[in-house]
Amino acid sequence: MIIGAILVNNFVLRRILGICPFLGVSKSTKTALGMGGAVIFVMTLSGLVTGIISNYLLKPFQIEYLRTIIFILVIAGLVQIGEIVLQRLSQSLYKALGIYLPLITTNCAVLGAAIICSDEGYGVLRSTVFSCASAVGFSLALILFSSLRERLALSRVPQAFEGTPIALVTAGILAMAFMGFAGVN
Amino acid sequence: MLGALIFLLIGIVVGLAVALVVKFFGVQGNPLLEQISELMPGANCGGCGYAGCASYAKALAEREARPGACPSMSKEAAHKIAVLTGMHEEEREPMTAVVLCSGDEDKASRRAGYNGVNNCRDAVLVAQGAKSCSYGCLGLGACAQVCQFGAIEITEHHIAVVHPELCRACGRCVAACPKHLIKLVPKSMPVQVFCSSPERGAVKLKYCKGACIGCGKCVRSLGSEHISLVGGMAVVNAENPPSAEITSLCPTGALRTLDRRGGK
Amino acid sequence: MIANYLHFYGGVHPAEDKLAKGNSIQVAPLRETYLVPLQMHIGAPAKLLVAKGDKVLRGQMIGEANGFVSAPVHSPTSGVIKDVTTALNPTGARIPAVLLESDGEDKACEMLEPIKDWQNAETDVLRKRVGEAGVVGMGGASFPALVKLSPSKPVDTLIINGVECEPCLTADHRLMLEHTERVITGCLIVGRLLNVKEIKFGIELNKPDALAKLQEVAKGTKVQICPLHVRYPQGAEKQLIYALTGRKVPSGGLPMDVGCVVQNVASVAVTAEAICDGKPLYERIVTVTGRPVVNPGNWLVRVGTRLADLIRLAGGVKEDPAKIISGGPMMGFSVYSLDIPVMKNTSGLVLLSRSEIVQYQSKSCLHCGRCNDACPMQLMPSLLSQIIESGKFDMAEQWHVMDCIECGCCSYICPAQRPLVQHMRRGKMEVTAIRKARKG
Repeated sequence: MIIGAILVNNFVLRRILGICPFLGVSKSTKTALGMGGAVIFVMTLSGLVTGIISNYLLKPFQIEYLRTIIFILVIAGLVQIGEIVLQRLSQSLYKALGIYLPLITTNCAVLGAAIICSDEGYGVLRSTVFSCASAVGFSLALILFSSLRERLALSRVPQAFEGTPIALVTAGILAMAFMGFAGVN
Repeated sequence: MLGALIFLLIGIVVGLAVALVVKFFGVQGNPLLEQISELMPGANCGGCGYAGCASYAKALAEREARPGACPSMSKEAAHKIAVLTGMHEEEREPMTAVVLCSGDEDKASRRAGYNGVNNCRDAVLVAQGAKSCSYGCLGLGACAQVCQFGAIEITEHHIAVVHPELCRACGRCVAACPKHLIKLVPKSMPVQVFCSSPERGAVKLKYCKGACIGCGKCVRSLGSEHISLVGGMAVVNAENPPSAEITSLCPTGALRTLDRRGGK
Repeated sequence: MIANYLHFYGGVHPAEDKLAKGNSIQVAPLRETYLVPLQMHIGAPAKLLVAKGDKVLRGQMIGEANGFVSAPVHSPTSGVIKDVTTALNPTGARIPAVLLESDGEDKACEMLEPIKDWQNAETDVLRKRVGEAGVVGMGGASFPALVKLSPSKPVDTLIINGVECEPCLTADHRLMLEHTERVITGCLIVGRLLNVKEIKFGIELNKPDALAKLQEVAKGTKVQICPLHVRYPQGAEKQLIYALTGRKVPSGGLPMDVGCVVQNVASVAVTAEAICDGKPLYERIVTVTGRPVVNPGNWLVRVGTRLADLIRLAGGVKEDPAKIISGGPMMGFSVYSLDIPVMKNTSGLVLLSRSEIVQYQSKSCLHCGRCNDACPMQLMPSLLSQIIESGKFDMAEQWHVMDCIECGCCSYICPAQRPLVQHMRRGKMEVTAIRKARKG
């Protein structure tokens, strides 16, 4: 399941979730690493907490219809906590990530993982592990892409393609590369 | 009903958790710094002498720097910062960059063909540049490339020209020119000597029709308090510059006004 | 007979075009004037000892060494100092020089005392003589020999560079063939001076006649003649050390860091003359060659001879040259004036016709990787040139642009005809400025 979450069904490149920070933070490998770390932190904890809520509050009381709003609430809280901790630990990284840090809240990858766990009916442990692995997959894709973009910045790109267009083309090619993992058990 | 209660419960728990973290881990922001940062132009040109707008903002907030050092900032923004920090603005005379060379392709000859990277800083590595005058502008645009305000034009005759109305005197072009031809001068100075070669006038004339040949016509006409001959070349007195009419005396056109209008 | 040598990484095989290799050395006749530079070496220019109007004799010291990293300059012939002026050097810079008007007599001054018994002389005496004679690295680097032969680290191997890997040049080849005894004597003298365990003489297999003669003369002596396969830049210091000893000079380091000193074959030959005959350095062998040249050949010329005179010696040109290069076509300098004087390290004058030169294009990198395969310093010119074009010079420093030896293999092999060496030189210039700003 772990390999599946990281490689085969990679959140960014296969499920196409979390594209906003993927394109926004991948200009340099340093920020990509920082963002990856932040996402792993948030997603693992959210996996744990939403797993507990899912299994012990939503199912028994049959209020699954509230899962979206409750998950978002939890994720928002976790991102806030993560932001403050990061600001304390590394001011420069905090500044470098800028607006993208609070945007992890609306990152569909985080909510997506929580909802997939809820849909598949994962227990607390499985939910946590799945979320963590997905976050690792997200970070992997982000770091790979940032290295590609650093190289892209050195090349001569036709003016019409400079910046986002060529990044999107590259992301597409990277996604194709990851398709090679399809069918791996 | 139950759902709403559970939702409320979770909301309170999460809120408490965040409040606790803020209390124990929170970092105090500096509201003054934030206000100043918003007024920064964000050009990161380095004209203030600091590494970037953020560094200058920090220095202002800590009252280590004076407002008004930023060439890219509007006067109102500088005034607002002065009010916020309680400091007086620095008096700055508006400056502009000038490229002190007249030798474009029309006027100056080349000593060899050049084939290589089309940038002045690269071209100067090959036999000090392909122009006959070793001190002249190569016209390949290293200065124009670094100018963020689009103030430098490489003319059709392959020489760099600064447009003073667009120039913010940040100084990047001064560092970029490998021949050190660009100087920062007050916008108010009426004339400049557009030549930087220390060689003898007769030698210079052989390969550049626009050079200052040190004939002294300008000095003789106005007297040496305004302009003088130093080492065979005319030098304008910055404290007491000559007026614009003097440009009509110059036989080669090296003496010109800032907008490059001259006698010849 | 192939010696046990190691293959250095990379390198290219340009066409040799050694048109003058069969032509024995001719002595150039005296010129009317000589423009003698006071700086024909790395380091401070020599301090002028004479003034305008002074009479000088051949071999007289007209400029003394100015500091430790410097070398004296000697007059190439007898005559009068007509003017103290400047001269253009092959890189286009102006250097201090004197204009000497020859009196036609070529009278010699009292030369330095020959040290006949150098085998038993004090090494300090030998070293001092090398300095007094104005010996510098004649392979092109022109580093003062006195400094090189006073290493601050222990040295156990002396390496003699008789490789002459540059295409077109044949000066060292003819020297080794026609003055073999002098060359071997020079090797032994320098070996004694440095007190080394081994003397290894590197020479490429494309010079079989010189190789055979050297082996014959060196038999029974301490000098080991080591034939090497033909590959450019086999004669580059670090590559030569690796091929002959297997030692790798560390990045940013010097040969003495691995216990070696490398000397060009012409430098040791001149050292032999300085010690055994007391003759200072004021002349050298220069190859004048190229398809546009009427009679390519090798000439023994005095320093201060203008390049225009060299072409006249070679019978002039039969077609207009497109490029005139001081040195070899791979690492030499393209010159725009023939008023440039021959200096102690001018190994040749190469004229290239229009069909032989390549026009650089400002095309994008194809990422073919040929330059990465060719770089003898194992750098990545493809990535480095892109980094430098983007202006990211601190990144260039991290990717070791300062280790580039500017050999030209990358430019030579690039199918997109990118001016790679110029990019490297720009990178090195900017990184040097950054490092200076960092310190200051």
